[in-house]
Amino acid sequence: MPSSDELSPGELTTEFDILMRRAGITVPDERRATVLASYADLRGQIALLHNRYAHTDEPANIFRLSPREGQ
Amino acid sequence: MDTADLSIAGMGRALRDGSVTSEQLTKDALDRVAAKDAGLHAFVLVTRERALADAHRADSELGASIDRGPFHGIPYALKDIYDTRGIRTTCHSKLRIDNIPAADSVVATKLTEAGGVLLGKLATHEFALGGPSFDLPFPPARNPWNVAHVTGGSSSGSATAISARMVRMAMGSDTGGSIRGPAAWCGLAGIKPTYGRVSRRGVFPLSWTLDHCGPLSRSVEDSAITLGVLAGHDPADAASADVPVGDYVSDLNKGVSGLRIGVPRAFFAGSPVATAEVLAGIDRTADQLRAAGATVEDIALPEYALFAAAGRVIMMAEAYAIHESDMRNRLLDYGTITANRFVLGAAIMASDYINALRARRELTDAVNGALGRYDALLTASALCPAPTFEASVDALASAAPMQTIPFNVTGHPAMSVPVGLSSDGLPIGVQIVGRPFDEAMVFRVSRAVEVLSGWESVGPPM
Repeated sequence: MPSSDELSPGELTTEFDILMRRAGITVPDERRATVLASYADLRGQIALLHNRYAHTDEPANIFRLSPREGQ
Repeated sequence: MDTADLSIAGMGRALRDGSVTSEQLTKDALDRVAAKDAGLHAFVLVTRERALADAHRADSELGASIDRGPFHGIPYALKDIYDTRGIRTTCHSKLRIDNIPAADSVVATKLTEAGGVLLGKLATHEFALGGPSFDLPFPPARNPWNVAHVTGGSSSGSATAISARMVRMAMGSDTGGSIRGPAAWCGLAGIKPTYGRVSRRGVFPLSWTLDHCGPLSRSVEDSAITLGVLAGHDPADAASADVPVGDYVSDLNKGVSGLRIGVPRAFFAGSPVATAEVLAGIDRTADQLRAAGATVEDIALPEYALFAAAGRVIMMAEAYAIHESDMRNRLLDYGTITANRFVLGAAIMASDYINALRARRELTDAVNGALGRYDALLTASALCPAPTFEASVDALASAAPMQTIPFNVTGHPAMSVPVGLSSDGLPIGVQIVGRPFDEAMVFRVSRAVEVLSGWESVGPPM
């Protein structure tokens, strides 16, 4: 995914608006600037997590169905 | 007898030698709340009648040689996200302003069964995330060291109540640092136990896989005694760990001679947010531990930004799942700060969340690896002293001054302990981290820090 730095402010706003519309949330106009700034910051953090792992790197919530040894 | 500065152990001794009653401890505490809270806003509800009834029962039982242990007759208070049967539990939110739980949280039950005296319910950031805010049903708690400054959140009322000497121990919750942050900024001890160590049942969730329950208190010993009451397996809490509970008190004063302590210096050393006084506090603590016989060495962990990113993505995604319906239908009933933070969860994709969980595995393995070589870690709690209300920033933003979320991501026990005051008279703390379920070592090292720093001679704000 492109990082927030690679999106123009307009593209970032469009993306955010689409996501909010999909979620059924209306952010009041007077809050938009604050929320958009937070979204850009969050998106920068999300970018750190992408393209980092191989297919063998499993998430932390992989569970086990069999008892552990000794149980 | 001035009971305001008696430790939990000290109150216990006084109760048992007959020099004080629980009723006296409770009335004194209620008087302090009445005298101080109007300007500090720690409490959203004072349960005076319940407190006096609890105290009467505690005294009657001690008189009949029924002793429930170290918490018998001790006043305490609960962050207002802990369910209390028949007592309003609001999460500091308009959305739950009329919520009267039908049952106690497990923590409330345990404290009651241990003979504790419930003084009331404490302010929090809304739903343990949104604050400090002035558009909620109750005002934000203020920092007793300087009321123009925040307490940190979200266990804001807990920190204020203890720091202002209203109560010796109050329960907080910690999803990204909500116990350790306010502890650091208010000059208190605050422990986030190992994930699964204390039942979360009956505590309103912020993020299921990051939420931890724990105490804030005036001293490390107070926290150790309290955790001994609270720790234990709860089969009805899906995350509760069936691991034996340790003795958290016996080794408190064993010192640090022979221990190995790692310092993940890159976490904090290069941060533009870190103040020279906080960095000096960490270095001074390392020197003191070294002089007391510990081996203290710098270590490398994955970059801090990765911990923060994983924590924020997990928290926002899980919180949004909890609040999805109200976000759609009652957005304006949340405080502005809360709503502005929660809506971001709607923008997180499935792959973002799963990548954060893959990071969690990598990061947990890395911290476990470090703790295979070291008994504990020493790092920053907060990179600066408490800011003013006007200068307060989102605790989850990439430039936030708290450095607590790594150990919510990994689940390791971590404690903030005060080490001194800044030049403008605000507390500075450091963070001690231990192996999973080795809270005893976290308390032992933290107690050494408390002694070596000279913090015990620093009186609380009056």
